[in-house]
Amino acid sequence: MDIAPLPGDDVKAKRRSESTRRFLKPFSILLNNNKAKVGFALLIALVAVSIIGLLAAPYNPNADIYARGQGPTSAHLLGTTAYGQDVLSQLLVGAGPTLMVGFAVGLAGTLISVIIGVISGFASERVNALINGIVNIFLIVPGVLLIMLFGTFFLGIHQSLGYAPTILILVITGWAFGARTFRSVTMSIGKRDFILSSILIGESRMSIIFRQIIRSIVPIIVSNFFFTAMYGTMGLTFVEYLGVGNLLQVNWGTMLYWAINNEAYLTGLWWWILPPSIMISVLMFSFTLLNFGVDEIANPSLRRFKAVKKNPRQQELKEKVDFNA
Amino acid sequence: MMEKEKRGEHRAPVPIKYILKRLLQFFGVFFGAITLNFALPRLIPGNPAQLAYLNLVKTGGGTVNPAYLNQLMVEYGISNKPLYVQYFQYLLGLLHGNLGVSIAFYPDPVSTVLLGALPWTLYLVATSTTISFFIGNRLGRYAGINRNTAKDILVDLATMFLASFPAFVLAFIVLTLFAVQLPIFPVSEAYSLNVTPGLNLPFIISATYHSILPIATIIMTSLGGWVLGMRNNIIPNLNSDFINFSESLGLRDHQIKSIAYRNALLPNLTGFAMSIGLSVSGVIIEESIFSYPGVGLYMITAINALDYPLIQGIFLMVIIAVLVGNLIVDILYGFLDPRIRQEVS
Repeated sequence: MDIAPLPGDDVKAKRRSESTRRFLKPFSILLNNNKAKVGFALLIALVAVSIIGLLAAPYNPNADIYARGQGPTSAHLLGTTAYGQDVLSQLLVGAGPTLMVGFAVGLAGTLISVIIGVISGFASERVNALINGIVNIFLIVPGVLLIMLFGTFFLGIHQSLGYAPTILILVITGWAFGARTFRSVTMSIGKRDFILSSILIGESRMSIIFRQIIRSIVPIIVSNFFFTAMYGTMGLTFVEYLGVGNLLQVNWGTMLYWAINNEAYLTGLWWWILPPSIMISVLMFSFTLLNFGVDEIANPSLRRFKAVKKNPRQQELKEKVDFNA
Repeated sequence: MMEKEKRGEHRAPVPIKYILKRLLQFFGVFFGAITLNFALPRLIPGNPAQLAYLNLVKTGGGTVNPAYLNQLMVEYGISNKPLYVQYFQYLLGLLHGNLGVSIAFYPDPVSTVLLGALPWTLYLVATSTTISFFIGNRLGRYAGINRNTAKDILVDLATMFLASFPAFVLAFIVLTLFAVQLPIFPVSEAYSLNVTPGLNLPFIISATYHSILPIATIIMTSLGGWVLGMRNNIIPNLNSDFINFSESLGLRDHQIKSIAYRNALLPNLTGFAMSIGLSVSGVIIEESIFSYPGVGLYMITAINALDYPLIQGIFLMVIIAVLVGNLIVDILYGFLDPRIRQEVS
C-alpha cells in the first residue's frame, strides 16, 4: 500500500534536520577550535592507552615477581616498583579505571546537577530557597572532609563493590557546583521573553524545560561535564591518597598512593611516581583544553576578538566581516 | 568637588537588608552543616567504643570485663537514647563548647586538640588564598590583555599545567627538592624548637620561614583557576561599551585597562568566597605532607584511629571558619557592587 506523502511531512523532516543541525552546532564549533582539537586528540590518545592496557599489557600488573625498585630497562620500559611490579603494565592497566571514574563522575554529577539546578530554577520560591540552602552546604563544606567522612563510612563494604563507592563519594561531593550554575542560568533564562511567550501559549512545564531550557544551555552542560570529570579524576587520586579507597585496585591513584607510601620520592624511584602523575595531568589538561573550547561557544566574545584593538572603528569593521564569514 | 561629596553621601548607606539576608543564610547553612555532622557518624555501622573494646580484646588477649564497654561508651559520650534526645544533647554540648573526648589523644578533650591546631591552618589558608588571588588575577589580566598571543598561551598553559598536576605529588616533589636534596627549607613543623611561641621576632621569623614551602605549593596549585577566571572576565569587559566610551573620551591606555580590570574582578571575588572551602581541602592535604601541625595532620590521625569525636570536631571547626570567611566576603561584596544591593531591595 502506498501512502502519498502529506504536504506537512517535508516541512517536518526539514525542521527535524534543522534542529539536529542546531544541536550539533556546538560540537562542530568545538572541533574547529584549536585548543579543543588538541584536548580531543589527547583524550583519544588516553582512551587508546586504556584499550592497550585492557588488551595487551606486557605483564600482569599485580605480579610482584620482578627485580625490585629497578630503573628503566628494555624488559621493563618504565622500571619496577619497590614491590617488584612492572610500572608500565600498571600504568596501562590503570588507565581504563581512571578514565572510567572520571567519566562516570562527570556524567552522574552533571546529570544530578542539571536536574536539581533546573528544577530549583523553575520551582516556587520556597522550594528554590530550600534547594539553594542544601547546595550551599555541599559547596561550603570542604570536599576533603566529606570524602573522609563518607570514605570511612564505605570502608567496611568496599571490597565487593569495585569502583561504585568511590564514584558515589565523588558524585556526592562534586554535584553542587554545577547545580548552582544551572540554577542561576535557569532563573535568568526563565525571565526571558521567549519562555514567557511559551507559557502564554500554554506549553507544558516539562516541554518548556526540555525543549527550551535544556537546549539553550547545552554548552554549559558540556562545560560542566568536563569540570566534574576533572573533579572526578583529581578526586580519585585524593580518595586513594587518603587511604579510603580500595587500595588493591590498579589505577593511577593507587599507584601514587603506593609510590608515596614507600617514599619513592626519597629513595629516588622517580619512574614509579612521575608516570602516573604525568598521565593524570595529561588527562586533566585535555579536559581543560576541551573546556576552553566550550567556553568560547558559551561566551562568543572570547571567540571573535583576535587581539587588543588599536583603532576601534577599524576593528569593528573587521569583526563584522569576521562574523559574516 | 561638591558633586563628588554628594555622590559619596548617596553611596554611603550600609546595605542592611542585604547583610541581614546573608546572616540568615549563614545561620541556615550552619544549622544544616551541624545537623549533617550529627547524622554522619551515627550512620556508620559500629561505634568507636565497641571498636576500642574489640581492639583491647584482640591486642590484650584473654577476656576484658564487659562492664568496661559500658564505661567506654559513657566516656565517649555514646548513648542508646532516642535520636532526638541525642540531637538535643549534642546541640546543648555545642553551646557549651563541649565537643567530646578525643579517642586518639585520650583523655584530651577535642576542643583542646583543635585549639592548638586551628590557628596554623587558618594562617596557611588566609595567606595562601590571598597571595594566590592577587598573583592569579594579575596574571589573568596580563593574559586577557594579550589574548590569543604567545604571552597569553604561555601564561594559560603554565598555570593550567600546574593546576592539573596532582597537588600532593607536587608537594612531595617540592619537599624532596628544596628540603632534602637542597636543604634550604625545613622538612617539617611550623617553627623551630629553640624559639618560644608568642609575639616575639625570632618566633615570627621562624614561623614564616617554616611556612614558605607549604604556602608556595598551595599557591602553585590554586593559581590556575584565578588566571582563567580573570582572563575570561576581562576579555568581554575590554570589548564592552563603557570601554569604547572611555576610549573615545581619550582616557589613557593603562587607565582603560584598570577600569576593565576592576569590573572583571567582581565575579572572581564571588569565587574567592567559594574557594575558601576548596583551599581548606588543599591545605589539609598539604599539612599532612609537610608535617605542619594544623588540622590536616590531626585529620589523618583521627581517620586512622576512627576517632569520630575528633573528626566531628574538625568538621565543625572548619565549617565555622569557612562560613565566617564566606560571610565576610559576601558582606564586602555588598559594599563593592551596588547592583547586589538593588537586587535585594
